[in-house]
Amino acid sequence: MRSSVKRPPTPDAEEEEQDREPTLQEIINIKLVESGEKERLKELLRERLVECGWKDEMKTLCRAFARKRGRNNVTVDDLVHVITPKGRASIPDSVKAELLQRIRSFLASTAL
Amino acid sequence: MSSSPKSSHKNHRSHFPLQKSLFQQNAAFPHSSPVHTTSNKTANSSYGKPISASNNFAGDFNHPCPHLLELRSKLGPNPFRNLQDCLEVRPLGRVSVRRELGQEVVQCGACKASSPRLFACVACAAVSCQLHATSHAAQADDNTGCSSPSSFHAIAVDVDRVELFCCVCKDQVYDSGFDAAVVLAQTAASSAIGSIHCPPPPVPAENLRKRRRVEYKPWTPDPNERALIVEKSSPLPSRPSQLGEADAELPWGLRGLNNLGNTCFMNSVLQALLHTPPLRNYFLSDKHNRYFCQQRNNVISTRSHDSNNHSNKNAARLCLACDLDAMFSAVFSGDRTPYSPAKFLYSWWQHASNLASYEQQDAHEFFISMLDGIHEKLQKDKRKPQIQTGSGDCCIAHRVFSGILRSDVMCTACGFTSTTYDPCIDISLDLETNVGGPAKLTSAKSNHSCNGVPDSKNACQSTGVSTLMGCLDRFTRPERLGSDQKFYCQQCQVRQESLKQMSIRKLPLVSCFHIKRFEHSHIKKMSKKVDRFLQFPFSLDMSPYLSSSILRSRFGNRIFPFDGDESDSPNELSSEFELFAVITHSGKLDAGHYVTYLRLSNQWYKCDDAWITQVNDNIVRAAQGYMIFYVQKMLYYKASERQVAL
Repeated sequence: MRSSVKRPPTPDAEEEEQDREPTLQEIINIKLVESGEKERLKELLRERLVECGWKDEMKTLCRAFARKRGRNNVTVDDLVHVITPKGRASIPDSVKAELLQRIRSFLASTAL
Repeated sequence: MSSSPKSSHKNHRSHFPLQKSLFQQNAAFPHSSPVHTTSNKTANSSYGKPISASNNFAGDFNHPCPHLLELRSKLGPNPFRNLQDCLEVRPLGRVSVRRELGQEVVQCGACKASSPRLFACVACAAVSCQLHATSHAAQADDNTGCSSPSSFHAIAVDVDRVELFCCVCKDQVYDSGFDAAVVLAQTAASSAIGSIHCPPPPVPAENLRKRRRVEYKPWTPDPNERALIVEKSSPLPSRPSQLGEADAELPWGLRGLNNLGNTCFMNSVLQALLHTPPLRNYFLSDKHNRYFCQQRNNVISTRSHDSNNHSNKNAARLCLACDLDAMFSAVFSGDRTPYSPAKFLYSWWQHASNLASYEQQDAHEFFISMLDGIHEKLQKDKRKPQIQTGSGDCCIAHRVFSGILRSDVMCTACGFTSTTYDPCIDISLDLETNVGGPAKLTSAKSNHSCNGVPDSKNACQSTGVSTLMGCLDRFTRPERLGSDQKFYCQQCQVRQESLKQMSIRKLPLVSCFHIKRFEHSHIKKMSKKVDRFLQFPFSLDMSPYLSSSILRSRFGNRIFPFDGDESDSPNELSSEFELFAVITHSGKLDAGHYVTYLRLSNQWYKCDDAWITQVNDNIVRAAQGYMIFYVQKMLYYKASERQVAL
C-alpha cells in the first residue's frame, strides 16, 4: 500500500500533495466522507455494536486490563493494542454483512 | 492565538503537508499575556459562568500530565472562549473538530493516513496520526522559544472526538475547563434555544441545606425519658421461653402467614414489606398508631365524595395502614404461630374491589395496589397544595419506595432533546429473549459479587445467562423508537425518528425490581410465562444507571462537575444497595405459587405461607426471581443487627 510511505518533513515551501495516484481505497474513502455517508455508516455501526453487546464486552476487557496493569500505568495505546485483535474477531457476521451491503449500495449509486 | 503568531506559523505548517487547515480563525487556546495562574479554579467558560473545578477533579487524577499543566500555565484566564466555533456538533451529541466544506477528508501530514485516530496540534494545527504525533511535538519544539503557547506542541486534539492527547506522554489527558467548554457546546446544540439544557425540577434547596446543617448526634434518653420508657413499655422477651430453645435463634419478626385461599400473592408481598427496614422501623416506632388514626376515626369530608358506593361510616373506618400496623405488632410480638391476615385482606378487598375474589392474583399488582392504599390521601386544608412528586413527603410508602425516573427523547435529525421526570415506585424490567455475545471472550472481574465469586456479568452474558445488571443496562440503553412512533420535535417542527433513553434521577430508599415474566399477547389472545432464569447480585451498585452517569457517557470521555446535587458525596454513598427480599414464582401463569426469601442477619429464610425454614445462599441464587427488593446499604447494616430488648 503506497500510503505507508513515510515522508520526512523538509523545509520546502511548495510540496506537491497529489504526486501519486490515489488508491481505490482512498478514492472510496473520500467519496464516503464527502457525501456524509461515512458519518451515517459510523453511526449505524455504533448502534449495532451497542445492541449486540460488543461495546460492553470491549469495556469489560479494558477494565480487566486496566485493573491488572494498575490504573496509572495504562495508556490509550495499550488499551487499543490489547482489544483490537479481540474486537475485530468478535464482530457479529450480521453486522459485517449489513455494513457491506450499505457500502455496496452506496457505491452503486454514485459514479466513481 | 492572536493573529501574528499564526501567520508566522504558516511557514511551519508547510513543512508538514496538510490536506487542509483545521482551525479557521483563532485557534482553540487563545492567550493574552504571558503570566498566568495554574489554578483550575479561575478557568472561566466563554459563557462567563465559572466552571468550578470541584475537588472531585483534582482527586481523580493523581498524576496529571506535566505537559498539560505547562500549557495551561501559559494560557490566559479565558482560553476556551473560541472553542465552540471550532467544533461541529452532530445530532446525537457527537462532537468533532469542524471542517470546511470541500475539505472534509483529513489525513496525517507525514504519512497521509486517515485512520484510526488523527490529532491536531493545539499550537499550529498540524494534523498527525498517532505514530507521527510524537515526532511532531519533538521537532516543533526546537524552533521557537518556550514562553508562548504557540510554540508548545506537546498537546493535540483528537480530530474526530475532541479529546486531548499529550504527544509526549502518548496518552489521553483531561482538562476540566476544556471538557466543560465542549459539553456546553454539545448541550447548546441539543436544545432549541441554545441555552443550558432544561434543568431538573427544582428540589427545594432550603430543605436540603437544612438537612445537612443539623449535625448528627446519637440519641440517649434523659432521666425523664428513661422513666417514661420503663413505665410505659414492656420489654420483649429476648428468649421466648414458651416456644423452646430452637426458636430463640430465629430473628425477630419471623412469622408464617396463613393462606386464606390462594392468597400466597398477598402473603409473599407482605413478608417482603414486613421486613423492609425503613417501613418496619416506621411502624414499629409507632409512627402510625392504629388507635389514634385520623383517617379511621374522623369522617373526612373528602371521602364522602369517593366514587365507590361505600357509606361514609364504612369509608371512614378503612385504613390499610392501621391494619398493617396491627400486623406488624402481631408479627414482631415474638409469637411464632402462623398469623392470619384476615382483617388486612378484608380491608384490601374494600380498597381494591375489582380484585376482591378468591382467584389467584398477581403479586406485583397487589404490591402497587397496597402501596396506593397506604398512601394517605392528603387533606387539602392541612397540607400545602403542591407536594413535589417523587419527593416522598406524602406518606411512608412513597418515602420508602418512590424514586424519580428521567426520560430523554432525542431527535435524530437535529439533536433536540426533550426531558421529562416521572416518579416511580418500582422499576419493571424486561427479560430479553436472546442474549448475544460470542462465548470466546475471557471472563473479567467486576465489583459486583455474583455467585459469591467476583465474576463478570459480561462473561455470564457471553454464555447466555441473563443478569439483573444486564436488564438494567437494557433499561437505560438508548432505544430507537420505531418509525411508527415518530416524536414531534419542537425544533424541526415535524415528527422525526428519535432515540429514547431512561435513567434514574433519584434513587429510592428501597428499590423494587419487577421482572416482567408474564407476557400478554394481544395477537394470540393469550398470556404466557417466561421462566428464563435471571441472575441477581446480593450487592448492587446503581451508580451506572443514574442520570449523572448516563449523561456523562452520552457526552463521551469528559470530566466535568455535573450541575445539581447529584455529584455530592452523600449521593455517592447512597447508590449502593443490599438485597433483602426476593419474591419468586413457580408454576404456570394461572396455577402457580409465590414464595418469599428473606435475608435477616445475613441468613436466608424461605417464607412459604405458614412455613418458614432456614435455607442456604445457593437456593436463593438459583430461585426464579419475580420481584427483587434492595435497600440502601446504610439502612441495611442497621437492620441486620440483632435487636435486643431493653
